[in-house]
Amino acid sequence: MDDREAGPAGPDMVGQDAEDGARMVRADLLAGLFFVVLGVAILYASWTMPRLEARRIHPMTIPGLVPGLLSVALVICGGVLAFRSSRAHAPGGWRALGSIFTSEAALRAGAVAGLALIYTLGLVGLVPFWAATAIFVAAFILVFEVWLAEPRRPLLESLPWAVGLAIVTAIVVTLVFERAFLVRLP
Amino acid sequence: MFDGLGLLFGGITHFLNPVSLFNIAWATLLGIIIGALPGLTATMGVALLVTLTYKMSPDQAILCLMCLYSGAIYGGSRTAILLAIPGTPASAATTLDGHPLALQGKAGLAMGLATTSSALGTVVGIFFLALIAPLLAEAALRFGTYEFFWLALFGVVISGQLTAMDDPLKGYIAGILGLLIAMIGMETLHAHQRFTFGIAALGGGVDLIPAMVGAFGFAEILGVMKRRAQARVVTAGDRVVPRFGEVLKYWKTTLRSGVIGTFVGIVPGVGEDVGAWASYAAAKRASKERKLFGRGSQEGLIAAETGNSAVVPGAMIPTLTLALPGSAAAAVLIAAMFIHGIRPGPLLMTENPQFLYQIVAILLFSTLAILVFGLSLTRPLLTVLMVPRERLMPIVYVLCVVGSFAITQRMFDVYVMVAFGLIGFLLREMKYPMAPLVLGIILGDLLDLNLRRGLLLTNGDPSPFFTRPISAVICLTIVFTILMSIPAVSSRVRALFVRNTGRAGSV
Repeated sequence: MDDREAGPAGPDMVGQDAEDGARMVRADLLAGLFFVVLGVAILYASWTMPRLEARRIHPMTIPGLVPGLLSVALVICGGVLAFRSSRAHAPGGWRALGSIFTSEAALRAGAVAGLALIYTLGLVGLVPFWAATAIFVAAFILVFEVWLAEPRRPLLESLPWAVGLAIVTAIVVTLVFERAFLVRLP
Repeated sequence: MFDGLGLLFGGITHFLNPVSLFNIAWATLLGIIIGALPGLTATMGVALLVTLTYKMSPDQAILCLMCLYSGAIYGGSRTAILLAIPGTPASAATTLDGHPLALQGKAGLAMGLATTSSALGTVVGIFFLALIAPLLAEAALRFGTYEFFWLALFGVVISGQLTAMDDPLKGYIAGILGLLIAMIGMETLHAHQRFTFGIAALGGGVDLIPAMVGAFGFAEILGVMKRRAQARVVTAGDRVVPRFGEVLKYWKTTLRSGVIGTFVGIVPGVGEDVGAWASYAAAKRASKERKLFGRGSQEGLIAAETGNSAVVPGAMIPTLTLALPGSAAAAVLIAAMFIHGIRPGPLLMTENPQFLYQIVAILLFSTLAILVFGLSLTRPLLTVLMVPRERLMPIVYVLCVVGSFAITQRMFDVYVMVAFGLIGFLLREMKYPMAPLVLGIILGDLLDLNLRRGLLLTNGDPSPFFTRPISAVICLTIVFTILMSIPAVSSRVRALFVRNTGRAGSV
C-alpha cells in the first residue's frame, strides 16, 4: 500500500523501472482521458435513449438508467486516473511512451496482429478455409523463425516445418470440425 | 446429511463407466498440457473446449470442461518449476520456490510435491464444496431482486479490487467496461435494443465465449509472441514420486493453504492466482523457515500449489449456487452450462440436486487423474515444454477462430473475438486485469435487470435496496471495499488501528 502512495514514479525508482513507471503514468493519463470521453459519450447516448413513454413504463425503469449510471462511474474513475497521473512526477514519460511504438516488442506484436487480421478479415471467405489456414500457419512460422528471430534460422531449415505444419493443421482442423463436430467452417 | 452422502455416491457411480473414464483421462491430460504450455491458460482452454463439447451430453461436456480446468491449473506448475515462467497465471507463486528447487537439482521432488499438493488442495476444496454449497443454495433461496443486484455489483467490485495488480482503480474500470459491454443488445425488461447502432448481429448482445476466447486467447498470443527470448528448460534427474514424510511434513501449511484457496475461490471473480499468492503469504508469515522462502522452500511450493488448486472447487460454490462465477474460467463454465440447458443458481439444489454432487465426483476423479499423470508422465511433459511457440501459436490462433465461429456459425463472433483480443492486449499492457471485465460481461444483465425490476416492484422507491438486512450488509461491504481502496482513507483507518493497539499494549 505504501508503494502505491509513493506513486509509480517514486523517488527510489531507478533505471528501467523508473522509465517503465514514467511511461505508465503517461499511458494512464491518456487512458484516463479516453475513458472520460467514452463515459460522456455513453452518458449522452443513455440520456437520449428512448424512454418508451408510449408504453407507459415507470420512469425509473427506462432502458438508459443502468448504462447512464455506469457511464457516470466510468467518467469518475477515468477522471481520477487522469488527474492522479497528471500530478505524478514522470520525467521522460512521453518520450518513453513514444519509444514503445518503435520497439522490437511492438514490431513483433504488430506482426502477429497483422497476420491475424489478414487471415481473419481477408483470407477467410476469400479462399477456402483450409487454404486460408495453411497460408496463415506457414506465413506465421516463417515470419517468426526466419525474419523476427534472434538468431535467425535459415529459410531452408524453417520452410519444411512451416509447410508441413500448415498442411497438417489445415487437414486436421477441417476434418475434425467438419466431419466429427459437423460444424460448417467459414 | 445421509441424503448428501447418497447423492455423492450416486455422483461417483454415475461416472464409473468406460466412456466417462476415457473422457476424464484425455480432458485432464489435455488440461495439464495446456496449463504447461506458456501462453495457454486454463480459461482459454475451457473456452476453446466448449466448442468441441457442445454436441456431447450435458454431463459428459461438463465433465470434460471441469477436468480440463483442474488439469490446467495443475499443469502450470510444471513450467513454473522447470522454466521459471508460470504456465498459467495461477502458478506465478510456484516459480518463487519451484524453480530454485529445480536449480538445486531437486526438480523431481519439486514436481512431485507440486502434484501431491495440488491433489490435496483440490480435496480440501472439494470437502468445502460438498459442505457449503448446499447450505449457501438454501440461504440464497431467500435472496430477492434487491440482493441479486447488490451481489452482482459486489462481484465486480471485489474482483476489481483483488485482481488488479497494483491499482484497484484499474480493476474497477475493467469491471465497469465489462458491465457496459453487457448493456449492448436487447435488454430483458422492456425488450428495447441498446447500443446496437443498426447492426442486427448485436441485437443478441456480445456472446461471452468469443469475447473470452479473444481476451484470454488472442490477447495471450500477442503477449507471448511480443517477447523475444524463450526460457531454457531445466531437466529433472531425481525421483518424482515424493515420500510420505515429505508430503506430510508441512500438513499444517497444506490445510491452511487449502482453506485459504477455497475461500478465495468463493469470492466472485477472484481466481487461482490470488489463491496461490494469499496462501504463499500466509505460509511465509507462519513459517519457522521463513528465510528459505524464495530460495527453494518446499513449504512455499506446497502453499502455492495447494492454494491455487483449492480455488477450483471453491470457485464452484458461488458458480453453482448463485450463478456468480468464482473465477474467470468458472465464467466460461456458466456459459457452457447454459448452452447445455443446466441453470446454475439458488434453484439448482431444488431442480437438479444430483448435479452438484456430480461436480464433486468429477473433481475427485480429475484429482486422481492428476496424481497418476503428474507422477508418471515426467518425460513426455518435458517434451511438451520444448515445443517452440513460433510453431504452436499459429495453431492456437486457428483454434481461436474456429472456436468462436463454431457455436453460432457467424463470422460476426470471429470479429468479436479479434476485437476483444486486441483491446484485451492493450488493456493488459496497461495493467488492467481481465477477470473483472469478464465478470462484468456475465453479471451486467443480472445487475441491470434486478435494479430496474426492484424499482418497478417498489414503484420507483429505492429504499428496500438499503433497508432489507442482507441487502444492507452487501451494500455496506461494497462501500467499505471501495473506501478502503482509496489510499488516503485506508492509511487513516490503518493508523487508527495501529494507534489503538499501541495504546492497548501500553496499558
